[in-house]
Amino acid sequence: MIKFKINPLTQKKIKRFRTIKRGYYSFLLLSLILGLSLFGELMVNSRALIVSYNGKLYFPTYGAIITGKTFGLEYGYETNYRELRDKFKSSSSSDWLVMPIVPWNPYENDLKEGAFPPLPPDSSVGHFLGTDTTGRDILARLFYGFRIAILFSFLLVAVNYSVGISIGSAMGYIGGKFDLFFQRLIEIWSNVPFLYIIIIISSIITPSFFSLIFIMLMFGWMFMTWQLRTSTYKEKAREYVLAAKSLGASDARIIFKHIIPNTISVIVTFVPFSVASGIAALTSLDYLGFGLPAPTPSWGELLKQGTANLNAPWIVSSVVVSMILVLMMITFIGEAVREAFDPKKYTTYE
Amino acid sequence: MTAYFARRLLLIVPTFIGITLMVFTITRMVPGGPLERMMSKMQQMDQSSNVGKSTNNNSNKSSALSEDQQEQLKIYYGLDRPIYISYFIWLKKVVTFDLGTSTRYNEPVWEIIKSKFHVSLTYGLLVLVISYLVSIPMGIYKALKHSSIFDNISSAFIFIGYSIPNYVIGIGLIVIFAANLDLFPMGGFASENFSDLTMFEKFADIVWHAFLPVTSYLAASFAGMTFLMKNTMMDNLSADYVRTAMAKGLSFRKAVVGHALRNSLIPIATSFGNSISVLVMGSFLVETVFNIDGFGLLGYESVVERDYPVVLGVLVISSLLFLIGNILSDICVALVDPRVQFSE
Repeated sequence: MIKFKINPLTQKKIKRFRTIKRGYYSFLLLSLILGLSLFGELMVNSRALIVSYNGKLYFPTYGAIITGKTFGLEYGYETNYRELRDKFKSSSSSDWLVMPIVPWNPYENDLKEGAFPPLPPDSSVGHFLGTDTTGRDILARLFYGFRIAILFSFLLVAVNYSVGISIGSAMGYIGGKFDLFFQRLIEIWSNVPFLYIIIIISSIITPSFFSLIFIMLMFGWMFMTWQLRTSTYKEKAREYVLAAKSLGASDARIIFKHIIPNTISVIVTFVPFSVASGIAALTSLDYLGFGLPAPTPSWGELLKQGTANLNAPWIVSSVVVSMILVLMMITFIGEAVREAFDPKKYTTYE
Repeated sequence: MTAYFARRLLLIVPTFIGITLMVFTITRMVPGGPLERMMSKMQQMDQSSNVGKSTNNNSNKSSALSEDQQEQLKIYYGLDRPIYISYFIWLKKVVTFDLGTSTRYNEPVWEIIKSKFHVSLTYGLLVLVISYLVSIPMGIYKALKHSSIFDNISSAFIFIGYSIPNYVIGIGLIVIFAANLDLFPMGGFASENFSDLTMFEKFADIVWHAFLPVTSYLAASFAGMTFLMKNTMMDNLSADYVRTAMAKGLSFRKAVVGHALRNSLIPIATSFGNSISVLVMGSFLVETVFNIDGFGLLGYESVVERDYPVVLGVLVISSLLFLIGNILSDICVALVDPRVQFSE
């Protein structure tokens, strides 16, 4: 059983965070959206939530596809639930089904006869934000694009910070030649134009979710390393480290049990900003066409479509607005976290 | 102090070699270099001229060029030697300001880069001057009127600029002001009939074209600088020496202008050196959005088109500017802050 105890200092910080309304409400709202998006299949999907057919209930959302034959249709491929709903409505049987709020998945093309996509928003068919140039629902793509981008960003922050914290604290703790070597390496490495390299690499291999994380890790670990190096240097010079050493604590114990817990406030204050910049980086790569492969739903790809089709303003405006909202919320959270961890009491004169 | 800066200047050399060597190696190792491009082009031409004919040279289909021609091309592009030797040949040329010839345009790289400079420099200077002129007074004012209505409202706007990538702001501006309201052009540096205009009209034309891109550049740099100015100003206002100044009977205005302000400008001076590289480089994303034919776009296009001499040329300029900018920052700090001693 792991003891989960919040120490009073952390409690105080959390309390302070909650008093900063702008950041706290952004945090709640963003957590809500993130939580919803993890179960996004229940809200934005082409599969029905519940189907009641011949007195039997079906839940098609998760799991294997249910073919049309199950519901008395002729075809042997996946059921088109929107058509099934219309069929149920027109027939007088007691069968019914419930569709998600947005009855489209991000990959299907809704091509109508006599109309060419992109089509403007039309809530009667469930395209609340219209369709893109190939007839895919924009809200669905925005929604799943958000989920991919934010999960990508979380994972990227996790790997970047793990590498940064390990190398950075080693640099600060060991010092000397080791430190000097990495200092030079970081200086060179951070001057290499990272976008050029990514463009060159992704024109050879089509990056997948994880290979893109790896490539971005290659050029993203320096920031946290540098921060941790500085703060480890500071902490190492403090008395408690000397005390631990004289008690016979090993280097590993000093680093993991004493120094890193004391630098955690430095680390935490950077997390929201790193998440925001991760989302922005993925979006710009997708915008340029060097990010995740098509047809992955992505904001960058929508942005590209939108700028190429300014006569269809619903594409570009929906993605720009959602980007502004999400990134602003994350920045508000970041500002509040920083304020909570490092409160500044200002004096003003009258 | 002179010794310190001399050492910093000397350290540019290994860093510069490290950066360029790394990119040079990557450009040589990845497929799709100039030779492959040339060959695939030849192959296409060969195939299109062979349409209709029964092709009996199936075995030879993989390359339209003979071995001999391939060798000649390799020598022409300098691909026949090992990487480290050709790197040193390249470096030797760079030292004499010869950046090689573009494989795409067949023109000297230096000429191509020079032709883009004025565009990026115009925008860079405009952004630099405006952002310093606006954000310093704004930061001071916000610090003095902390948590007033003006402070809160302007903070909200600055936050938008801070959190959104500047090219997205650019896209937003285009949608609103160019596509819908039709107030500004969609992009470009100047109108097509630019050479027919009078002096004044030329100036107005450039400003008209520059308005949206400069605004989107500004949104980002402006946000960071205003916050920096405000926060350091507030730190200084609550510092003991300002309280002492007030206590000995100085007016608030004098305490701010004479004491707090001077110290608050130090971090701003730190950022000055770094803005040099931004000044020239611009952001290729903004340049892509607004279709500005500048330095950033050149670098981006040459990477995409595998025009490696240009890629390396852009890299040489940008990394030198960045490295020198860092040193300039330190010099600026040393100039404004007499407490800073660099000699250890």
